[in-house]
Amino acid sequence: MSTFDFIINNYRQVIYLIGEHVWIVSLALALATLIGVPLGMVITRHKALAARVINAANILMTIPSIALFGLMLPVLSLVGHGLGKVPAVTALVLYSQLPIIRNTYTAIQNVPPAVVDAGKGMGMSRWELLREVQIPISIPVILAGLRTAAVMSIGIAAIAAYIGAGGLGVLIQQGIDRVHQEMILSGALLVSVLALVVDGGMALIERLVTPRGIKIQQPRPK
Amino acid sequence: MSYLLKTYLCLYFCLWLLVFSGNGWAADKRLIIGGKNFTEQYILAEIAKILLQQHGFDITLKTGVGSTLLRRSLMSGQVDLYFEYTGTAYTVYLKQKDRAIMADAEKVFNFVQQADAKRGLVWLFPLKCNTTYTLMMQAAHAQGLGLASIGDLARYVNKNPQALIFGMNAEFWGRPDGFKRLMQDYGFRVPIGKIRKMTTGLCYTALKEGQIHVSMGFSTDGRIAAFGFINLDDNQKFFPVYNPAPVVRGPVLDKYPEIRQILKIMSKLSTEDMQQLNRSVDVDKISVQQAALNWLKSSG
Amino acid sequence: MIRILFKVNRFFLIMVIFGAGVAAQRTGLIDYFFDPFEYPIFIKLLGQHLYLVGCSMAIATVTGLSVGILLTRPRFKRYAGVGMYIVSLGQTVPSLAVIALAMSFLGIGARSAILALSLYSILPIARNTLAGIVAVPPALIDAARGMGMPPGRLLLEVELPNAMKVIITGFRVALIINIGTAALAFLIGAGGLGDLIFSGISLMQTDKLLAGAIPVTLMALIGDFLCELLGLWLIPQGLRLEKQ
Repeated sequence: MSTFDFIINNYRQVIYLIGEHVWIVSLALALATLIGVPLGMVITRHKALAARVINAANILMTIPSIALFGLMLPVLSLVGHGLGKVPAVTALVLYSQLPIIRNTYTAIQNVPPAVVDAGKGMGMSRWELLREVQIPISIPVILAGLRTAAVMSIGIAAIAAYIGAGGLGVLIQQGIDRVHQEMILSGALLVSVLALVVDGGMALIERLVTPRGIKIQQPRPK
Repeated sequence: MSYLLKTYLCLYFCLWLLVFSGNGWAADKRLIIGGKNFTEQYILAEIAKILLQQHGFDITLKTGVGSTLLRRSLMSGQVDLYFEYTGTAYTVYLKQKDRAIMADAEKVFNFVQQADAKRGLVWLFPLKCNTTYTLMMQAAHAQGLGLASIGDLARYVNKNPQALIFGMNAEFWGRPDGFKRLMQDYGFRVPIGKIRKMTTGLCYTALKEGQIHVSMGFSTDGRIAAFGFINLDDNQKFFPVYNPAPVVRGPVLDKYPEIRQILKIMSKLSTEDMQQLNRSVDVDKISVQQAALNWLKSSG
Repeated sequence: MIRILFKVNRFFLIMVIFGAGVAAQRTGLIDYFFDPFEYPIFIKLLGQHLYLVGCSMAIATVTGLSVGILLTRPRFKRYAGVGMYIVSLGQTVPSLAVIALAMSFLGIGARSAILALSLYSILPIARNTLAGIVAVPPALIDAARGMGMPPGRLLLEVELPNAMKVIITGFRVALIINIGTAALAFLIGAGGLGDLIFSGISLMQTDKLLAGAIPVTLMALIGDFLCELLGLWLIPQGLRLEKQ
C-alpha cells in the first residue's frame, strides 16, 4: 500500500486532520499578528524598549518547541486547558512573535525619512502618517514576516499532536507508534505540501499588495 | 482613533474566546471519547464512536493521551467517556493492594465501580478481554536460556545483571503495578544502564530487532504471536486483572442513559477478539476504522 | 574585553530568571534531581542528548560548509540557485517528520536520529555560507587577486573571514534548532532529555516534565551564548569594529 493509497483510503480522517491543523495555525497567526504588529509599531517610538522587546522575542524563539509545549502544561492546567488546542495555539503565538515584531519594526524604521518628512510637511497627524504613509510602505516586509511565521508554525504544529492538539502531527505520531511507514510518509508529505502551498500563497499576496512604486526599488527583505 | 482601537480590541477578545470556548459549545448529543496511546485503545474508542454515531451522537475523539492525564481529563470534564482497565484503576488511581481482590475479575470491577461512583464516575460494564501487562522475550532467546516465567528471569538477572537489556515505556516504569514494584516483589534488580525507555509501540520493534532482550507488552497485542515472542509467566500473580470498561461521567450518563445500552454489545469482546483486532491493525496494517467495522459486523 | 562582559551580562540575566523559575518549582524539581533513583538517569539522558547534538552538528557543519563553499566556486556557481532550492525544500518538512522518516527507513536508535538531525541542520549552515561568501565585496577579491593570491589562500584569508559573521549566524540557528529537535529523538528510541519531557506529559508529572524541559532550554540558551563567544573569537577584530 503506497502513501497515496493510504491517503485516499482514509480521506475523511485526513481532511479532518488538515482542517484541525489549518485551524490551529490560522488562529495562532491571527492572534500573533494582532499582538505583534501593534507592538512592533509601538516600539518604533520608544527605541529603548525596542532592543529589549526584540531580545525577549528572540529568547522565546530559542526555547525548543517541545519544551515550550511542555511548559504550557502545568501553567495552563490551572485554568483547565493543559492539553489540547489551547496550549498549542498559545505556544505558537509566542513563537511567532519574533518574526512579526522584528519585521514590523524594521519595516517602519526603513520607511525613507524623506517620505515621512513630506507627510509631516503636508500636515499629517501622527496617526494619519502611520495609516497613509508608513503602513502601506511597510506592508510587504510585514507580510514577509507573517509568511515566515506561518511556515514555521505549520511545522511546529505537527509536534503539538503530542499534547493532544490534533492536526497532521497525529498521522506522524500514530505512524511512529505503530511503525506504519505509509502513515508517517502521509503525515510528512501533507505537512510539507501545506507549508509549501501557504508559503507560495503568501508570496503571491505579498506581490499583489505591494504598491507598484515600491516594487521597483524595494531591497529584498531578509 | 478610538473607533479603530475598539474594533481591534473586539477582534482580539473574540479570538481568545474562540480559542477557549472550543470545549464549551453546548450542543445536542455531543460526546468526547478519550483514549490512551496504544492500538487497542484506538480500536475501543473507534468501536464506541461508531456505535454512538449510529444512534445520532456527534463524537469527537481525543486519543493518544497518557493514562494519568486521561483520567484527570475525565474528572475535569474535558473528556466524557473512555475505556479504563479495572486493574489500572485499582492499583494506580485507588492505590489499593489487596491481592485477593486484584486477581478476581468480578471483585475488582465491583470495587472500582463503587469507589468511583462516589466521584461521579460510572463504570458501565466490564469487557471480557483481559489486557494484562506482560514481559516478553523472543521465543528462541527465552528457550535458549531456559526462561519460562518471571521468576526464572529474576533468578537469571540476579546471577547475570549485565546480560539483558530491558525496554519499557515511562508509564510501566513508574506505576505501582509496574516495573519498579515488580522488581521488588520478585526480588531482582536490573542496573539502570540496562533499562531503556521508549514509547509503547517502539518496544515491540526494538525487541524484534534485538536491540532489547526483554520488553514490556500488553497480552492482547497482535504482534506477540506475529513477531515470535513469548509471554513470561507471571508465577507470583503480580499483575492484577485488567478488564477494559467504559467509564462515563455521571452527569453525561444521566443526560443520555441510553449510552449503556448502545455500548452493551462491547461486553462480548474477548481476549482472542482483541488480539485479532490488534493484529489486523498492527501487523496487517488495516485502518482502525476498518477493523472496528469488521468486528461490529461479525458480532451483529 | 568589555564586549564580552556585556554579553555575559545578558546571559546572566537569563540565568537569573531561570534560577527564579526553578526555585519556584523547588518542591517538585529539586527533589526530583536528588532522588537517588532518578539522578543517574538524568545524567545518562543528558549525556545522550549532548552526544546526539554533538555528532549531528559536527556532520552538518562539515557538510554544510563544504556545500556552501562548493556552490560559490566558478565551476558550480550555476547550480547555486537549484542547490539552495532543493535544500530549502527539505526545510519545509517539519522536524518531527524528518525524525519519523529516518526511523521508518533506517530503524530505531541513535544512528537514525543523528542522520535526521544532521540533515535538518545542514540548510542554515549551507545557506548562510553561500550568502556570506557571495556578499564579500568584489573589490576585496579583486585586490587579493591583484596581489597574486592563489584561489586557496583567497578562500581562507579573504572570503571566509569576511563571511564569518553570517556563517556563524547560520551555525547558531542550526545549533538551536538541533538542540530542540534532539528532544524528539526519544520518540524513535534514541534517548535524550526528550524522555523526561514526553514521560512528564503522558504521566502528568510536572517535575519530570520540567526536569527535561528546563535543561533543554538552558542548553539552547547556553549554545546561543557560546556562539556569540565563538564569533568574538573567529571574526577578525577589524571586521568587528567596522560593523559597529
